[in-house]
Amino acid sequence: MAISAATKAATDALAVNRAPTSVNAQEVHRWLQSFTWEFDKNRSKYPTKYKMANDTKEQFKLIAKEYARMESVKDERQFGSLQDVLTRVDAANKVHPKWNETMKVISNFLEVGEYNAIAATGMLWDSASAPEQKNGYLAQTLDEIRHTNQCGYVNYYFTKHGQDAAGHNDARRTRTIGPLWKGMKRVFSDGFISGDAVECSINLQLVGEACFTNPLIVAVTEWAAANGDEITPTVFLSIETDELRHMANGYQTIVSIANDEAASKYLNTDLNNAFWTQQKYFTPVLGMAFEYGSHFKVEPWVKTWNRWVYEDWGGIWIGRLGKYGVESPASLRDAKKDAYWAHHDLFLLAYALWPTGFFRLTLPTQEEMDWFEENYPGWYEHYGKILEEWKARGCEDPSSGFIPLMWFIENNHPIYIDRVSQVPFCPDLCKGASTLRVHEYNGKKHTFSDDWGERMWLTEPERYECQNMFEQYAGRELSEVIAELHGVRSDGKTLIAQPHTDKDGKMWTLDDIKALNCVFSDPVDAL
Amino acid sequence: MGIQIETGQRGLTDPELQKVIADAVPDKPLETNRKMNYFVKPRGRRLSEYEILCCYTQPTPDWIPGGLDWGDWTQKFHGGRPSWGNETTELHSTDWHKHRDPAKRWHAIYVKDKAEEWRYTQRFLKQYSADGQIRTMDPVWRDEILNDYLGAFCFSEYGLFNSHSSATRDCLGDTLRMSIAMIGFDKVDNAQMIQLERTFLAKLVPNFPESTAEPKKEWTEGAIYKGARETVQDIWQATYDWNEILWAGHQIYDAIFGQFVRREFFLRLSSYYGDSLTPFFINQMQLYHSQTKGITGDMFFHCLGDDAEFGDYNRRLMRAWTDKWLPRTVNALKDFMGIFAKIPEIEHVTTKDAIEKALYRVFDDWVEDYADKIGYKVDVKAMVETVSSGLK
Repeated sequence: MAISAATKAATDALAVNRAPTSVNAQEVHRWLQSFTWEFDKNRSKYPTKYKMANDTKEQFKLIAKEYARMESVKDERQFGSLQDVLTRVDAANKVHPKWNETMKVISNFLEVGEYNAIAATGMLWDSASAPEQKNGYLAQTLDEIRHTNQCGYVNYYFTKHGQDAAGHNDARRTRTIGPLWKGMKRVFSDGFISGDAVECSINLQLVGEACFTNPLIVAVTEWAAANGDEITPTVFLSIETDELRHMANGYQTIVSIANDEAASKYLNTDLNNAFWTQQKYFTPVLGMAFEYGSHFKVEPWVKTWNRWVYEDWGGIWIGRLGKYGVESPASLRDAKKDAYWAHHDLFLLAYALWPTGFFRLTLPTQEEMDWFEENYPGWYEHYGKILEEWKARGCEDPSSGFIPLMWFIENNHPIYIDRVSQVPFCPDLCKGASTLRVHEYNGKKHTFSDDWGERMWLTEPERYECQNMFEQYAGRELSEVIAELHGVRSDGKTLIAQPHTDKDGKMWTLDDIKALNCVFSDPVDAL
Repeated sequence: MGIQIETGQRGLTDPELQKVIADAVPDKPLETNRKMNYFVKPRGRRLSEYEILCCYTQPTPDWIPGGLDWGDWTQKFHGGRPSWGNETTELHSTDWHKHRDPAKRWHAIYVKDKAEEWRYTQRFLKQYSADGQIRTMDPVWRDEILNDYLGAFCFSEYGLFNSHSSATRDCLGDTLRMSIAMIGFDKVDNAQMIQLERTFLAKLVPNFPESTAEPKKEWTEGAIYKGARETVQDIWQATYDWNEILWAGHQIYDAIFGQFVRREFFLRLSSYYGDSLTPFFINQMQLYHSQTKGITGDMFFHCLGDDAEFGDYNRRLMRAWTDKWLPRTVNALKDFMGIFAKIPEIEHVTTKDAIEKALYRVFDDWVEDYADKIGYKVDVKAMVETVSSGLK
């Protein structure tokens, strides 16, 4: 077969070209945008009311193999630290017991968020039309697998080496029992994957990652380190190095729709809903985890929240997107009120329902009560007195026959679940912004605690019709529920959850709970 | 010792803080069961680290078989469609959490392997260029076959890669989701390796066209990849059932068309044309194919085909899907036969006798590794004849 003159010339030139050379990742990546082609059926399987531009670029230009190299280097450092020096110094047993319990929750709940983000970014990879934009989401898909495994590794590490493996060792099964679970699913699971693809990106990347990963993944490392935990910072800071790319993905989502008319119509409403959805859970839960789940305190949660949520995110980050028509969410103002009191409100309810947890909770010591009053003036008069009353009635001691849930019933303080956020609230007792509202729909009563969630419900009730724990457990006796959902330790009788972390304190058993004859009811029935 | 710490104080290293902590830590562990995920049924004798880190990470309600959670989804799609639902696939399972990657790769293991391949690739390319091995490559093979047709195969791999996006979103189990994302990632890696090879050739060979324009034209307008292109497009965008996407892509199209193009064309023939470069990349792709085969084999044969309750039904549906996708794949391969007219002929290598042997190898492998496992009856001779009728 004859060869062309050009081919012959090229071949002849090879004789002198023997310089060692290779190809770097950027030299491949620059062709990526041309990898796709037009065809009739080429469209996303997840419709969005926005139009994502065909030429959107990504900020971090990775190819598959370079991605793997980068992550592998980070893994070597992280797992090297964990398996070598931290194990040799017995680090897991030098963590304050209160914080050991807090990490049962934080690590597992973050794992759920990371896991669902695998699916969320799969949807975005499908929705984007530009290959570079797909590539950015794809790297995040792999990152989220990494983070899922890393969060699991924290529980795994504490299980293997720590002071109380119960809860760490079966969090994926026992996490479903208590009052914090369904709300966590709303923000970290379904909120990322169920809806308009761009709306999900706003939930995941623009709010979840750009706003709440700072307090969730960075601030938590400061609280962990203060309380003797160097395991969590080793893992979480490695996770955070990937989060920067995820925030950039969220930014690029907005860039990709900036020229679409729909953006000016819908974007700020979607952002506001996403922010309120995320903050409604994270503001109280993170505040509670840090302040009530630690011995040593870093700073009041309200300050952390103000710095990272209100100023850095609501001001600077959203400000940068201002040129694309993005405005600071209207609900930010109301969220600021929650940042002060909502975590204290939630602690009362979480402690009242402690037997349904997969961790041990602790009442504040006198020193901690002083700290709360100093940082949240008025705290003692409202919360401190209630907690003192519970302690005086022996709520930590199994022989007392008293759990604080009984106090709520005795004093006619019904606990409701907000249907949209699935966050519990007690309108009689809360100092945060929650107030009771009730709507009937599909033959059932639904309770709500705030304007923004109520508005989401009224717009699309079919999206939030999920039963809550009181409806699920109504008529069931508490110890039966705990046993059925595996909330006991390996001796088959002692609860995983306990109302104290006192090493000399007695542990509650299923029999102790059974003796209370505590039967669940749905407070909505009385409305 | 107060409870408010100063900036930078760490409980592990600050003696005063550590004393308070040590006093609070129990004298002996409170729980004796130190095995995480002890409730998970291991695939092997013992629960592996892969199973510990991956199993039941997904919060699945119990009405999706295998789930540990209860209740409904807390937020649904507009109109009320669930976050994940049994209706996203026609296949049934008694446990969507049963799948395991036979290689037990969680993320760290997966990226470690690929990072090693990347480092070795860069060392290999430096050695290849310094050794001047490019001088032995047949110029027609290099400038026409590798440039146009290996370049065009990049789009086949890229299209298959994209077919994993909705499967990654919609599938119903955690180990499934991680496996699907990883085998999809391998496909984009294949596409990028093809462009990497072309970029490398452009550095070594004056005027070798690095641009993707010519290969894309071949892929979108040429006759050789016409059937392949149409099949890939439909797997990627016209198929919604996530199991059907994986079945069509991996168990039919890639197991037949992909295997012929990679193994029986580029890998087998490259040495005859003095090309020691392409096998380096194709063999990485073949490694990924082999790992993917392990994964999809576990999904479809072990978990779904052998499901105690739905196995018979599932195998019947897989046979129906095969009826749908096999003729299209055979047709794609028939179109591909046109490529043999483009290369310098080598007796018993690129002639009909050798091509038919290659086709038999691919189809016989497919029957043994895929069709037999679902009881699918097929006439290999007829398929080989159909394909070879495409030879010019």
